[in-house]
Amino acid sequence: MSEPARIHTPDIPLGRLIRMPGGKNVGQAVSDAEKGLETLHGESMKELQRVLEKAEDYYNRANKKFDGLLVNAFYDLINGAIGLPTVGKDRAIDSMLVSLADLLDYYRISGEWGDKSVQVHLNTFQLLLRTEGARDPEGTEAILSGLQKVSRKAARG
Amino acid sequence: MGFSADSRARFNLAQVSVLVLEETPLGMSILVQILGGFGARKVYRCDTVEKAERVVREAEVDLLIIDAMGRSGAGFDFVRWLRRSGIRPNCYVPVILTAAHTPAMAIARARDCGAHIVMAKPLTPRAMLDRIIWVARAGRRFVECDGYVGPDRRFRDAGLPRGLEFGRRREDGLMLPG
Repeated sequence: MSEPARIHTPDIPLGRLIRMPGGKNVGQAVSDAEKGLETLHGESMKELQRVLEKAEDYYNRANKKFDGLLVNAFYDLINGAIGLPTVGKDRAIDSMLVSLADLLDYYRISGEWGDKSVQVHLNTFQLLLRTEGARDPEGTEAILSGLQKVSRKAARG
Repeated sequence: MGFSADSRARFNLAQVSVLVLEETPLGMSILVQILGGFGARKVYRCDTVEKAERVVREAEVDLLIIDAMGRSGAGFDFVRWLRRSGIRPNCYVPVILTAAHTPAMAIARARDCGAHIVMAKPLTPRAMLDRIIWVARAGRRFVECDGYVGPDRRFRDAGLPRGLEFGRRREDGLMLPG
């Protein structure tokens, strides 16, 4: 027989500590954190370049066929990169990575492989890295919207 | 949740011990920069579950920021272990779970492992501070039963009643301007 549920309200020291005198105001704290992130921008771009090269390697090794181990490794690579571009406030590359992760997640579960859908994501990855900091916002938005349609279409089969 | 960009409300993380579990070096650097900017001084940096478990056994922490750790979901398992560990007070500490790609299954796992809240990457300083302040609010009930140990999953933050500018509780005042 299962035990009855115990419901209680534990003491959370965080609530007290955060209200102690001193500290920072919200605006200053966010600004300081953003300044700290800016120091990681170069490292982040270098890492994204490494991720792109590795992704292209996985894509070439797949050779237009589904390979379970390869797709899992590819998915892990892209999943691990989500969030890095935002260090440089680059939402576009993050959106592309999320779209590619959606696609690869679908392939790894379904056992299918859509060569062109992956290729168009990698081409966009290259383009976004090359044009970092100098993009037309409307054009970029249109490209990302197109990628999301590719991912959704692939998932529908 | 949510505060205005020009909010002058103050908060203090100087005495707060934070455990961060994040396996990628750059992901860890991002969180350390964000927390440092907020004024947190004591951050336990763990790149493996084993290191995080050791910290939980040996030190008192006030907040945990745990990455789901991709396909393995080792972050979910760590939170599940923490909640059932019986190591007080750490087993009750607020947990913010971060995840990169978040299919619906990952969200369900996050809810059921005992995390207070899930944040999808990319993480921004504003969103992270918002969540930290939210989990710090007192009064979230804890449920311990055979199938689940963690904060009560039945909650709804409907905000303030229409027409009210400020809340009545002290915790609400944390986000008041000035």
